[in-house]
Amino acid sequence: MTREEPPEIAKLRRRLERERIARQEAEAIAERGLRDLYQRKKQLKLLEKVATIANSSRSVRDVLQSTLTEICGFMDWPVGHALLLDQDSAEPALRSAAIWHAADPDRIAGFQRATEDSAFPSGVGLPGEVMASAKPHWFFNAPEEGNFPRRRPALACGIKAGFAFPVLVGEDVAAVLEFFAYSTIEQDEALLGLMSQIGVQLGRVIERRRAEERLIHDASHDALTDLPNRSLFLDRLGLAIARRKLNRGVHFAVLFIDLDRFKVVNDSLGHLAGDRMIVEVAERLTAALHQEELSAMSGTDGLLARIGGDEFAILLTDIGDPSDAVRFSHRVQESLRRPFTIDGQEIHTSASIGISLSTTPYAYAEDVLRDADLAMYRAKTLGKSRTEMFHREMHRSAMTRLTLEADLRRAMVNGEFLLHYQPIVSLESLEVVGFEALVRWRRPDGSMVYPGDFIGIVEDTGLIVALGFWILREACMATRRWQREFPRETPLTISVNISPRQFAEPDLVAQVRRIIAETGIDPQTVRLEITESVTIGDADREVSMLSQLKDLGIRLSIDDFGTGYSSLSYLHRLPLDVLKIDRSFVSAMDKSAESFQIVNTIMNLARNLGMHVVAEGAEVAGQIEQLQSLGCDYGQGYFFSKPMDPADVVKLLKGPTHWAGV
Amino acid sequence: MKGIVFNLLEEVVGRHYGDSVWDDLLDAAELSGAYTSLGSYPDSDMSKLVGAASSALSLPPADVLRWFGRQAMPLLAERYSAFFAPHTSTRSFLTSLNSIIHPEVHKLYAGAHCPHFHFDDAPDGALLIGYNSPRRLCDLAHGFIEGAADHYRENIRLDHPHCMAHGDRHCVIRMTAA
Repeated sequence: MTREEPPEIAKLRRRLERERIARQEAEAIAERGLRDLYQRKKQLKLLEKVATIANSSRSVRDVLQSTLTEICGFMDWPVGHALLLDQDSAEPALRSAAIWHAADPDRIAGFQRATEDSAFPSGVGLPGEVMASAKPHWFFNAPEEGNFPRRRPALACGIKAGFAFPVLVGEDVAAVLEFFAYSTIEQDEALLGLMSQIGVQLGRVIERRRAEERLIHDASHDALTDLPNRSLFLDRLGLAIARRKLNRGVHFAVLFIDLDRFKVVNDSLGHLAGDRMIVEVAERLTAALHQEELSAMSGTDGLLARIGGDEFAILLTDIGDPSDAVRFSHRVQESLRRPFTIDGQEIHTSASIGISLSTTPYAYAEDVLRDADLAMYRAKTLGKSRTEMFHREMHRSAMTRLTLEADLRRAMVNGEFLLHYQPIVSLESLEVVGFEALVRWRRPDGSMVYPGDFIGIVEDTGLIVALGFWILREACMATRRWQREFPRETPLTISVNISPRQFAEPDLVAQVRRIIAETGIDPQTVRLEITESVTIGDADREVSMLSQLKDLGIRLSIDDFGTGYSSLSYLHRLPLDVLKIDRSFVSAMDKSAESFQIVNTIMNLARNLGMHVVAEGAEVAGQIEQLQSLGCDYGQGYFFSKPMDPADVVKLLKGPTHWAGV
Repeated sequence: MKGIVFNLLEEVVGRHYGDSVWDDLLDAAELSGAYTSLGSYPDSDMSKLVGAASSALSLPPADVLRWFGRQAMPLLAERYSAFFAPHTSTRSFLTSLNSIIHPEVHKLYAGAHCPHFHFDDAPDGALLIGYNSPRRLCDLAHGFIEGAADHYRENIRLDHPHCMAHGDRHCVIRMTAA
């Protein structure tokens, strides 16, 4: 029973209907826009809040706690929980950080316990799922979720939906935040995107905190070995002193350990090898400290620290008896006895150990360490691989040494060093062929000091490098002068010692080249004397170094031959011209057949290697005759002359040669 | 009051009585009648329209509101089906009002004054719905609840043990299975 409408009305009605539909669509579009805008604003607000929390200087735990609460509030989810990566366990796993947000704590108590008792390795459960993928994960209904080991306690408290997202440091999952709701909730992609952003924010907090912790750690630990450093050691030592003040019954000891021969390793094998050696020594000392016997020593506790280059210190607290410290020092020696293999080379070392004890009433940690250091120095002086206890006398001798050190530095500046020259004589013609330059120290009071009394300190302090080059320059200048004043068919030669420390200088060749150029001396007349101890390190470097020196035109000689441990095959590789037989053999050869044989053997060796031979320490006529009979080329020693000052050299060169002994 | 409510009323009246009756109601209430769902309009507009309908239909205003609420529900179910789908009963649908539906309303209309419903289970199994709004539209709420029951095909009985219209501080609507 449709009532006919006039066509105009029908048209208008349709038009009205179109307008209505258009209006509703427009409203729907606007509604969606408003809803999105609202969500966006809320998300921004959450991000802002998280950023504020992240930038506050609170601890990582506080930041995680506040963020959990914010997110739960934002999503209206009742449960939030944070897990941190536990890297110490055998298999890295996420473990509860015991940081929760719970709208109703009683309701989820069981679930909380089950969670805190669990570990979640990669792939296991909701956190493991996130750890494996480094991406958020969501399940909307707990009973249907396949990978949910906590299903039973979760269902017991009515948990239905859950999701979790990673806190990323770089690409690594450092923590996971998980959330649970009591109703089924479908995955919300926009929300997951937002949570990923929060995860990155929080990651920066953890990263920053780790950097801070690292800084603190680095400030108190040695970078190479990761052992406590000097400052941390002194700190702990200070505590031991304080405890000792409160309780006279507790004793402590400090062992100052310095490796013997380490400088040689460093200088000859290079710093990298030296570093590797230090790391291995640190490991062995750590192992020695952790041996069961130590704890058997009535609860003694030990702290190992690296104090400097090759110096370690051990603080033993709660020792029962001072002899415990000595016993322990033997164990340290024992631990170093096995040779070290560094870069394929077998290296033997030992330690000089000084001990200071709490029986001396100390007030400052620095003093305890200083005294142990002094005792160590004493041990070193008495011969390596020793242990010495500190006593007061050491303090005095240390002061003497310190004064000497200061005097030597001043001597360098004031030009208190001078050179004496000992003639080297042809055993065939008995003519002077050259001199060896020997350093002397004339103190301001006029007294003369011989190298035996100061060269050790000069070497220890590194002054030897500057002094060595000064000697070379001075000797070359003087010799050049004599060569001009007293021309002869074969010009005078000059021999100068090069210390192992100088030999390790990277610019040794350049320095020598400069000195030769500046003094104008003919390099053919310069002989650099090295000792065997130079030749036990990096063979390739030594050969290359010596070859470069040879390329300058100078001659090389090996000093004190026979006292070191050079292997003959190795010696053969070195581009040497002259071999100097050590005085100990020469001076004994007229009394000991054995020494004579040794000299004879060395002579043959030198001849076969095409080297000239200088016999040092020739003192009496008989020795000269023996040397001549063996065909030795040159002699040097008191038989001919003591070392003399430059004025006497000039006299010697002027007059006809006349040897007292001849 | 939000324009959507006026749009719903217009649609319900149009469906049952034809568009011209809506025009007549607007004329009688002396209103222009241009309402968009997103706009806000004076509450008095609604009472004027209810008054006009009450006169035209010779029904008390309370009955007009109940009728309107009940008839509006199918339209809402059509337009916002997502809110209805998760539920299978009137009771569970109603209890999602505060936590889900009204927060959604707020997303669209930051300043909307949604009524807050307070739900309580009576010992006899009845659901007690507390309503407190200065608009005093408990009858509209009554109609909406009936409409929801129609949607879930449930027979329910509603009564008002407390009502602001009778001087009580707030309304309590009691819902029992019929």
